[in-house]
Amino acid sequence: MAAAGSSGRTARALTRVVAGPAGRALSGRPARALGRIVTIALILLWSLFPIYWALNTSLSTLSGADSAPAHYFPSPLVATSYRAVFGIGGAGYGISGQLGRSLLNSAIESGAAMILTVVIAIFAAYAFARLQFRFKRAIFASVLATLLLPAYATLIPLYRIMASLGLVNTYIAVVLVYVSGFLPLAIWILYNYFNSIPRELEEAAFVDGASPMRTLLRVVIPVARPGIAAAAIIAFLLGWAQFLFPLILTSDLSTQPVTVIVAALNQQRIVPFTLLMACGVLAAAVPGVLALVLNRYIVQGITAGSVK
Amino acid sequence: MLPYILLSPLVVFIGALSFVPTAVTTVEAFFRVMPLDPPTRFIGLGNFRALFADSAITTSWVNTAVYVVVGVVLSVVLGTAIAVALKRRFRMRGVILALVILPWALPAVVEAVIWSWIYNPTFGVMNSVLHSAHVIGGYHLWLGLDRWLTILLIEIVQVWQITPLSAIIILAALQSIPLDLYEAARVDGAGPVQSFWRISLPLIRPALAICTVEALVLSLNIFDQVYVLNGIAPLGSSVMLQTYVTAFQNLNFGGGYALSLLMTLATALLSMAALALLYRRAEAV
Repeated sequence: MAAAGSSGRTARALTRVVAGPAGRALSGRPARALGRIVTIALILLWSLFPIYWALNTSLSTLSGADSAPAHYFPSPLVATSYRAVFGIGGAGYGISGQLGRSLLNSAIESGAAMILTVVIAIFAAYAFARLQFRFKRAIFASVLATLLLPAYATLIPLYRIMASLGLVNTYIAVVLVYVSGFLPLAIWILYNYFNSIPRELEEAAFVDGASPMRTLLRVVIPVARPGIAAAAIIAFLLGWAQFLFPLILTSDLSTQPVTVIVAALNQQRIVPFTLLMACGVLAAAVPGVLALVLNRYIVQGITAGSVK
Repeated sequence: MLPYILLSPLVVFIGALSFVPTAVTTVEAFFRVMPLDPPTRFIGLGNFRALFADSAITTSWVNTAVYVVVGVVLSVVLGTAIAVALKRRFRMRGVILALVILPWALPAVVEAVIWSWIYNPTFGVMNSVLHSAHVIGGYHLWLGLDRWLTILLIEIVQVWQITPLSAIIILAALQSIPLDLYEAARVDGAGPVQSFWRISLPLIRPALAICTVEALVLSLNIFDQVYVLNGIAPLGSSVMLQTYVTAFQNLNFGGGYALSLLMTLATALLSMAALALLYRRAEAV
């Protein structure tokens, strides 16, 4: 039955496609389907071409990349740029040690910022969503107001605070600044998520004699896992992308994240684009793969953080 | 007690690292603060007067206004177009949505380096494509010659990054519109274009307001793309870049504070104005 049904549908679709150009000209469904395919193709071209171009160049030889007109596929396809970046032969321009270490710094800084942000935001968002206390509205409003606070407002004082504490060029300075910047958004995402959880769940735990803290840990957090994942992934991606704050807060390879190193390599004007693109691809690989795998949570976080 | 215990880490963080610095910026904008040339002393509007006398900074104000207009218009229009195209369910839609989000997730600095290669005057693919299509006769130096073209091309790099944000927000708003509204319009003889203008657009206005404010704040703060693609040349400079140069290269903190204070106020006023305008119209419909 199912097979017959689907072959019937296929036959009808075929008739439509065949009849399309001759019959109903441009008003029929095939024309609309074609329009949709072209639109989607254009959207994908716009979204992905620069990324493809970086990959293409990073896998080309120098003479293959430096050519006019451009080669749209690597010819020949080589991994020499990646080997040079990791110090396995070829002119590496001293990149090898720098890139690996800066990737590690990025991972430590954005990872630590993510964990701290999420832990602090869970407690705060739970208090705002479920508990009653004095000055609640005022505190909540002033935390959310910092969502609109631009980097301008805090840039120079944060540098001076860290300098006076002797924390410039330490992981601690970078992580503290990231956490203070990401908290409002994480709280907003989690606050909305907690509010979407039916209160009956917690009330049942209360009736059984559990304290609010125990209810949070044993009932709310397990149920809120998707919301927590959304806040965490967004905090990590924001941390990985930071440039201006680490530019002023870090001064050497012991703490500089990969964004600062890529910008510095680009500024030297002697590193060939094949190597620069290999560095760019490696710097974008972690957030890129995370975004592709966890995009469901990103979409959820962005919509929770904006609509309402 | 419990609420205060749960909130104390937040209050410490936001207090010490957001509110105190904002207060410092506000107060010290009226002081002469030069770490290498003390003493620090009150100079009233001196820092602001110096800003208005500095042509590199006044240029960057106009530039930033152009960045903002281009960024808001392009990212909201493109985001709406992408959201409309992805509104109906179809096979592979999830995969396509994931790919569309990708530019938002990558570091702006890395993206700017990639685009600087795309815009490259001798081997850039933009030259190659436009030359093959006979749009241009020979290869061009795209950045650093013409002020408005430089700003447009740099802002396109930011638009590429932030458009997914608008697309996702508008898509969520479109999907929350009840389908029977469209069905009723169709029965009344409305085509897809009419349905968009008469049903979708009025109902997604709150989402458009949010996208506008997000794009506004992001483009007012544009730094990474300008730093990579324009350097510190005044031609395409943004206010954030001038703030960085004033404070951390010229080590004139007072001037940086004054610039920061003006931009913080501008950000607050413009975002509230945009929200008030778009939200009110949304309610009126």
